[in-house]
Amino acid sequence: MTLTQEELRKLIVPLLAAMLFIGAGVFLVSSARETRARAQAELLAAQGEHRQNADRLARIAEEEREVTEKLDVYKQLKRLNILGEERRLEWADAVARIRNQRELLDLTYRVDRQKLVKSLPGKPGTIDFFASTMHVQLDLLHEGDLLRFLGDLRDSGNAYYAVKSCSMRRTGQAATGATITPRLRGSCEIDLITVVDRGAKR
Amino acid sequence: MARYLLYFTAEEHYLYASSGGRLKLEAQFPGDDAGVAQFREYLRRRKGALFGVLADLTGEDFQEEQIPLLRGTDREAVVQRRLTQRYRDTRLAAALSLGQVAAAQRKNERLLLASFTNTQQFVPWLDALEEAGARLAGVYSVPLLAPALAASLGVHRGRALVVSVNRAGLRQSFVEDGRLRFARLERTGEMAPQALALFIRSETLRLVQYLVTLRALPREGASLPVMVIAPRGERAVFEQALTPDARAAFRVVDAAEASAAAKLRKAPEGTAAEALYLHLAARKPPKNQFASSGERRRYFIWQLQRAVVAAGALGFAACALYAGTRAYEAHELRVRAAELALEGRNAAQRYQRITASFPVTETTTENLRVAVLEFRRLAEASAQPDPGLIHVSRVLERFPQMELDAVQWSVGRPGERGQFEARTPVAAPRSDQAVHIELSGRVNATQRGDYRGITAQVQALASALASNGYQLLRTQLPFDVTSEGTLTGDIGGRDSSEAPRFTIILARSLP
Repeated sequence: MTLTQEELRKLIVPLLAAMLFIGAGVFLVSSARETRARAQAELLAAQGEHRQNADRLARIAEEEREVTEKLDVYKQLKRLNILGEERRLEWADAVARIRNQRELLDLTYRVDRQKLVKSLPGKPGTIDFFASTMHVQLDLLHEGDLLRFLGDLRDSGNAYYAVKSCSMRRTGQAATGATITPRLRGSCEIDLITVVDRGAKR
Repeated sequence: MARYLLYFTAEEHYLYASSGGRLKLEAQFPGDDAGVAQFREYLRRRKGALFGVLADLTGEDFQEEQIPLLRGTDREAVVQRRLTQRYRDTRLAAALSLGQVAAAQRKNERLLLASFTNTQQFVPWLDALEEAGARLAGVYSVPLLAPALAASLGVHRGRALVVSVNRAGLRQSFVEDGRLRFARLERTGEMAPQALALFIRSETLRLVQYLVTLRALPREGASLPVMVIAPRGERAVFEQALTPDARAAFRVVDAAEASAAAKLRKAPEGTAAEALYLHLAARKPPKNQFASSGERRRYFIWQLQRAVVAAGALGFAACALYAGTRAYEAHELRVRAAELALEGRNAAQRYQRITASFPVTETTTENLRVAVLEFRRLAEASAQPDPGLIHVSRVLERFPQMELDAVQWSVGRPGERGQFEARTPVAAPRSDQAVHIELSGRVNATQRGDYRGITAQVQALASALASNGYQLLRTQLPFDVTSEGTLTGDIGGRDSSEAPRFTIILARSLP
């Protein structure tokens, strides 16, 4: 059946109405899908937060034990001034004091500029580990002098002393009766490590 | 939208409006030219209205034919030819399919050709509708609606006779398996209910006999079910007169009961059983009718308009349904998210309450953990020279002839100091950090020419040092006794005063 022009004109309004219906339907579908996608995202976020909070709550006993245990170490680091900004003057004082106390013959040292070893993400701030390398050279009467020097340095605090290398070599100097002659020459390379907690309360 | 139905009888025509299961008598027209004029006048106020014509006339012809089983335009052409052969005027003629029949050689289709003996009586009325721009849904006859009435009264299959008392007269329609086979109209005058019932009985038995003669009914067989629609309140009188017979099994249905079964809510006063057919013509018009497609053109366009809008509405409904399910899902997801958020907040609050009782710290738990763990890791990866030097010192006490010139202690990766000696059966270091000790010394109190003695002493020292967790990385002997090196000697020459030198490198992995 072929439609005339007049009959086709009669179909224009119904066609427009149908298109309006379809358009409204498509809009409904589109907005419903968007709404669902948003709701899905909200659910995922809520699930994530819920899981995190529930896990934290479940681990709270362990966390309490961990806090108690780690707090002792943390306080000790704080007390030894390992935690905090580095204290170069205190280091110089400590080396001078040890030399005097141990009556070491000759002692020279050099501390390099500080460098960042590691930066770890914490909440709220990062935990930064810094190291300053100290090069020490000292004359020894006996190898025990070197070990005592390192022990005294460790006990002086103000950093964690990580010894990287140490060497001892005979000086080859013959002993004279008048003066004390060093028999050994020691040299060490030590990392002076400090920790800065950016999230700590001031 | 109301549908107008013109009930077309031999004498008068009645115009009804059907809407929501209710029939309303709109107008009444005489069957002459004056009636046509009145109808035209009436139509002037009903431009574009939906109209149907329901004919209830005596001169309706039915003829059963068979045509080859065809489809599409071929069938249409054959049917049209048969109608032309049968009727002079095919303007109001219809062919009702009665189903397939298997002939000897081929399959045929049974047709019931139907038309009116006098179609001219319709012409001015149909022309009036055409001129008024009315939408003609179809021209029906009462028999065409008999199968629908029988179905609404519960007769869907088998043979049955539907008998009703219409304004035009006594209408009898023979229906088989939901299809019209034959019908007739017998005029009735003013009759008492008792007499009318007896008249129905006699006319029915006559028709049954006629159908037997036509072989539309078997000569011997069960009695034919006859549904008689009695006028309102006269069922009892009819039942008394219409007792079962060997040929006809009467079942009397009250007009009110039939109206309820056909979902006709209200009919005007004075209307007889034709109200049922009128209602069915408005509510459930049969596919077969008498008007040509040209006469129904406006109705077709109207249907097309409605179909287009309905398709749009259907699309909208489908979209709305889909959107509704998605919106419901979104609602459920939001409810679930809200529940989880509440549970999460409760867990966080409980966590805060519990952590409030923790020891007071100067930092957060997270920073505390990170700082201490990393510091421990760093401390474990570092070492002090004391244990290594003590180990060397203790071993040297057992080798007084050995004298060290230099000791070098360092922390680093195992590979940095060279490979382990092949002959040293040691396991690979577990950590990537290890303590290395390099010893350089001399062998005293042994003649320089005693190669075997010197080599044995150095190797004994190296073996002794490779203990207490230390592994031998390399041993450099005073003499190269390996196949890869060069062995030199000065036999008989003067002894050199310089003691033979050796180097031993040890390593110990850090945990």
